[in-house]
Amino acid sequence: MRNQKSMAYRVFALVLVILLAILFTFPLYWIITGSFKTAKQINSTTPVWWPTEWTMKNYQKLMDKFKAPLWEIAVPFGQYFSEDGTARVISAGPTVPAAVRWLLNTVWMAVASMLLTCLTSALAGYALAKKRFVGRTLVFTLIVCAMALPKQVILIPLIREMSALKLYNTMSAVVYPIVGWPFGVFLIKQFAESIPGEILEAARIDGASELKTFNTIVFPMIKPGVGALAIFTFISSWNDYFMQLIMLSSTKNLTISLGIANMQAENTTDFGLIMAGAAFAAVPIIIVFVIFQKYFTKGITMGAVKG
Amino acid sequence: MRKSSSGLSRALVRRETIAGYLFLLPSLFFFITFVIYPMFMCIYTSLFDSNMGKNAVDVFIGLNNYKELFQDKIFLGALRNTLVIVVVAVPTVCAFSLWVASAITDMHPALTSMFRVIFYLPVVTGSVAVTVVWKWMYNNYYGIFNYLLKGAGLIEKNINWLGDAKYALWCIIIILFTTSVGQPIVLYVSALGNVDQTLVEAAEVDGATRTQVFWKIKWAQIMPTTLYILVITTINSFQCFALIQLLTSGGPNHSTDTVMYYIYYTAFKLYRYGYGNAMGVVLMIIIAILSAIQFKLGQSSD
Amino acid sequence: MKKLFALMLALIMVFALAAPTAFADDTVEITLWTYPIGGWGNSDTVDELVAAFEATNPGIKVTVEYLAYADGDDKVNTAIEGKAAPDLIMEGPERLVANWGAKGYMVDIADLWDDADKEEILPVVAAACFNAEGQSYEYPLCMTAHCMAVNLNRFQAVGADQYLDLDSHTWTTDDFVAAVGLLAAENPNVAAVFCGGQGGDQGTRALINNLYSGTFTDAEHTKYTANSEENIKALELLVGLEGVNFDPAIVGGDEIQLFRQGILDMAFCWNIGMQLNSDNNDAGLTNDGDEIVCMAFPSDDGVPELCGGIWGFGIFDNGSEAKIDAAKTFIKYMADSAATADAVKASTYFAVRDKSDDVDLSNIYEGNDIMSEYSKLMPFLGDYYQVVPGWAEARTAWWNMLQQIGGGADVTETANAFCEYANAAAGA
Repeated sequence: MRNQKSMAYRVFALVLVILLAILFTFPLYWIITGSFKTAKQINSTTPVWWPTEWTMKNYQKLMDKFKAPLWEIAVPFGQYFSEDGTARVISAGPTVPAAVRWLLNTVWMAVASMLLTCLTSALAGYALAKKRFVGRTLVFTLIVCAMALPKQVILIPLIREMSALKLYNTMSAVVYPIVGWPFGVFLIKQFAESIPGEILEAARIDGASELKTFNTIVFPMIKPGVGALAIFTFISSWNDYFMQLIMLSSTKNLTISLGIANMQAENTTDFGLIMAGAAFAAVPIIIVFVIFQKYFTKGITMGAVKG
Repeated sequence: MRKSSSGLSRALVRRETIAGYLFLLPSLFFFITFVIYPMFMCIYTSLFDSNMGKNAVDVFIGLNNYKELFQDKIFLGALRNTLVIVVVAVPTVCAFSLWVASAITDMHPALTSMFRVIFYLPVVTGSVAVTVVWKWMYNNYYGIFNYLLKGAGLIEKNINWLGDAKYALWCIIIILFTTSVGQPIVLYVSALGNVDQTLVEAAEVDGATRTQVFWKIKWAQIMPTTLYILVITTINSFQCFALIQLLTSGGPNHSTDTVMYYIYYTAFKLYRYGYGNAMGVVLMIIIAILSAIQFKLGQSSD
Repeated sequence: MKKLFALMLALIMVFALAAPTAFADDTVEITLWTYPIGGWGNSDTVDELVAAFEATNPGIKVTVEYLAYADGDDKVNTAIEGKAAPDLIMEGPERLVANWGAKGYMVDIADLWDDADKEEILPVVAAACFNAEGQSYEYPLCMTAHCMAVNLNRFQAVGADQYLDLDSHTWTTDDFVAAVGLLAAENPNVAAVFCGGQGGDQGTRALINNLYSGTFTDAEHTKYTANSEENIKALELLVGLEGVNFDPAIVGGDEIQLFRQGILDMAFCWNIGMQLNSDNNDAGLTNDGDEIVCMAFPSDDGVPELCGGIWGFGIFDNGSEAKIDAAKTFIKYMADSAATADAVKASTYFAVRDKSDDVDLSNIYEGNDIMSEYSKLMPFLGDYYQVVPGWAEARTAWWNMLQQIGGGADVTETANAFCEYANAAAGA
């Protein structure tokens, strides 16, 4: 009896999960097939489930419509010394379709946010958990209170600050506020709490320097937490459309999300072009995700189980 | 502070303090420069009648922005919508992902892995790209929902999903939901996999039902995961901006405004910076209180 | 730990590398941001014009960025706050003079207007480019009249084409109501009063103003009159008209798309640029090949007042004299030289002046049937009221007002609230 019931439940669950899976896969399916549809099929008033006539025209348009140099290397800190506030370019890459540059910008932005966040949070989280110092409660309270704050709240002051620092319309303007967001510190602190004080005490008695202690004892123990944080930061900065929207303006500096949003905002929306752009953005990261799935999911999990 | 370190010598306290702040330095640099300082500026400007304009002069008006705020029906509506989004999205995301995770962990490992990838797809596809497709699905004239519902005879007239104040907010919550469950599902699948099997077996030998095993044993063991998911989902729900900007611009008739979007709207469509900043401050206070409560609850259940 | 520290330093260094860029010393680099004004929104067309300009002015390099109407204003506003506004901007007096100019961000370019210009440029256009104090924030290039469009095949199928005067392209309010009545029997979506945002809002304004000959502002452009008896009557007519739906989920661009797809029988957001568009089918045809005919907005007296579009260039004050001078050179080259004919043709709109640098601009489209047919609508060009103070705020309030009315709010009350708000913003 119980087995029967459990069997029925399993079948029901499987069917429901499959249905939901279809709904979840649909946007991606629609993007990929849509990117190969002709204008006629895209503009059809009844859904065209599968392209009857395949075309590469959307991708051609994506590649031809906007152009940008593949990279640009400027004099470091040049914007602070030049007359008009812009740094001189020392090297500019070959002109490529802007979508390629956008993808590169996005990867750069997400990786930089991830690395900087992990590094600063690991150090700070450990200090908050294990160091007893004056002002610790104040810092921690500030962090907890600011943790869930949406960035829209400080929209205007942040734009003004970035322009005063001559960072407006650079990737730094997007990355630095992400790094400043204190969720990472909070997360790592929760992890570092579980490090036994005796080990740290022993290291100190042995005369190990603070940095050595951190490097050899603390970091290995909070590694799972850092992994979880790395993934969280990477994904949320990849999807963090708002900071990009307000901080970046020139075509060459856009991220792929902004590029797609721009195409959508045009007066005569070219859905084929948008789908091609979206597919171009999504497919590489999905391939990376599928390949590294095991490592990736492991990274998130251990963090949370202990946290 | 004193009490907890009573056993330590003064020199040690000083050493600890210096070391502590040195470790904190990189993080505090970014935190103070790009979060705390703008927050302070936000509070400061909120006391002024500050508008866009090269020669515009900020006039100190005290708390007048705040007085106006609490009579502004649009703001109050936006505040309500924000809370609705968080209150609806957070528990549903948690419950749904836990259910999916427990349903797919029992399956063949290959299937588990496949479903895990599928539910993660909207997250990695990118919210802007996903939103564009959903906009098409919701379309009044040729969208898939109207097409299917009409085809199945469930509705007679097309529903203008995003153009009808009755549905628009829910349409947005649904998209937010699909882009939010990916990470929780992955987390729960692994958390459930890490549950101590000896306890589960022991309970089963004692004749516990599936449901009993779940609530009595597994639930406690996945509690930390649940807390982590609650926190990140709350953060994500509060950040919901792209969906609104790209789908409805807060409409129809401000029915999908959130405080976050309304701040943007006030700043760049109405050019009222001081007023927008006052909204930011109110939201700041609300979120700080919520976070503190959430944190306290998390502490006590540890 | 050393490694970590080095990594962080390296990161910060590289970050600084991704800073904005500039070119060699003696070249002045200026940026132009343009809204999609006909072909001026298309990089191929603009690249050609800019290349020609750079060839004659080797000391100036122009970088062009393309804005969209949906979020272009937000972008410019953010850039202004970020002190990264473009040097040159291309749009109409409603933005350049009435908004950014009035807020003090633009350079007064009254010195660009010489005596010849004052003679050659249409007085109504010239007037729109100056503010009350005699400062000019815009140098005009091209203009058009915004109109509406109908799907002729659909009209013929239900016999509604009897209400269209295909020769003069005008019709009366009664004609319009009767035609909608016939069309609505076949199609529940004859037309949409789109109000999801400000994109294409000149269409909804012109429709409502024309139906009973109301006006949007008073003749002096000091206050908003959208709650006048005529306008309220028009709004009530539209609310009650079967087949015409208020749709807060779409803006002008979406409406055009729906019209081309054959879902709507009429489009209120139309002008010559759309009539000439051949992305999905030949110009003047819907995606399915139905014929598109431009029409003036219906009015009770049969004499429409069309909303004008004027486009030209303005200069943001970024504090660099060299850039301002370069920008002025660019403006003179595009809008007042032998090259102007090409610049106007690129926009697919009409010239604002009869000649420039002794080149006759009055019939640059000679031999183009669509253009000559469209030019019949140009005499109906009405008052250019978009320079009224508080325009940007009023504009936002307008689509919000339509959303409320479409959602069932009381027409008179909502229109009164709109005017009260808009007039407060206008300081009237």
